[in-house]
Amino acid sequence: MSREAPHYTAARIQRRIAEDDRVAELGIHVDVRGNEVFLHGQVGTEERRRLIGVVASEGEPGLHFHNEINVVEVRDPTGEEQLA
Amino acid sequence: MIRIAAIGDIHVGEDNRGQFRPRLAKLGEQADVLLLAGDLTQHGTPGEGRLIADEFKDLPVPVVAVLGNHDYHSDAQGEITAMLSDAGVTVLECSSTVLTCSGAGTLGVAGSKGFGGGFAGKAATAFGEPEIKAFVTHTQRIAAQLQEQLTGLEADYRVALTHYSPVKDTLAGEPPEIYPFLGSYLLAEAVDSTCTDLAVHGHAHAGTEKGATPGGVRVRNVALPVLGRAYAVYCLDHEASPEAAKACEMPA
Repeated sequence: MSREAPHYTAARIQRRIAEDDRVAELGIHVDVRGNEVFLHGQVGTEERRRLIGVVASEGEPGLHFHNEINVVEVRDPTGEEQLA
Repeated sequence: MIRIAAIGDIHVGEDNRGQFRPRLAKLGEQADVLLLAGDLTQHGTPGEGRLIADEFKDLPVPVVAVLGNHDYHSDAQGEITAMLSDAGVTVLECSSTVLTCSGAGTLGVAGSKGFGGGFAGKAATAFGEPEIKAFVTHTQRIAAQLQEQLTGLEADYRVALTHYSPVKDTLAGEPPEIYPFLGSYLLAEAVDSTCTDLAVHGHAHAGTEKGATPGGVRVRNVALPVLGRAYAVYCLDHEASPEAAKACEMPA
């Protein structure tokens, strides 16, 4: 059997990240280039970033994962916008 | 002038419990009301509902919220709504509330989760299989109820609060292929027909803060990853632009 197209690999990983209740993250972009898999997006905590990496790589032997997800930094509120 | 603080998509779970509350320390000095644009939880569980109730209880200003798709994920939206209500938060779903802001007039907020379907010219229609009809008619029903609630508001200022977006403008940055899952033009149509001053939404984490409806009503995407801060503050002032206020007259 020929090797699976990267398109389907990326879709399967992205679906697992969204539907696995350990993470439930809908906004993660999965990019498959050969055996290299890149995860991009933003999450609220370092723990969520780590868990997404775990969930993404489960059951995917032979792929090398790069967790490039950022953790959102929340600044204190500043300023206001006038909408007159 | 009414000062509206707004934030959405804070996605509180066990791993970030209690981390948002300290950012609200100056809320009473900076705003007259706080709007929450949904996705307050990560998994929509009752446990997370208790966490967000703790985050937003006993604040110095009224808090008005809608839920988002994450808050529905565990089918506990009713319990989450009850917990927030017990904590003093007004949770809207195809409903509205009017707040009196001391010295500034009254603020009417009509709120709903909203739903998807896409935007004019590229929107889903209620045709064919029952599944697609159910998807589209869900949005149509919500938009009709939002319009009804906005129309019925007796207030100096009107705000539409949703989780899903009424416009494409504030989705810029998201893949265009997923726009139909991020909002619906039917929500904007409700806003544009009702003399609404501002539409606030969340949901689109990779989107853009500022946009407008086809009718020129300002739209703000207040998803936390978009704002990068605990909340934005928007000031509405009809006295500063009386022409704009007069120009809008709803049909009898």
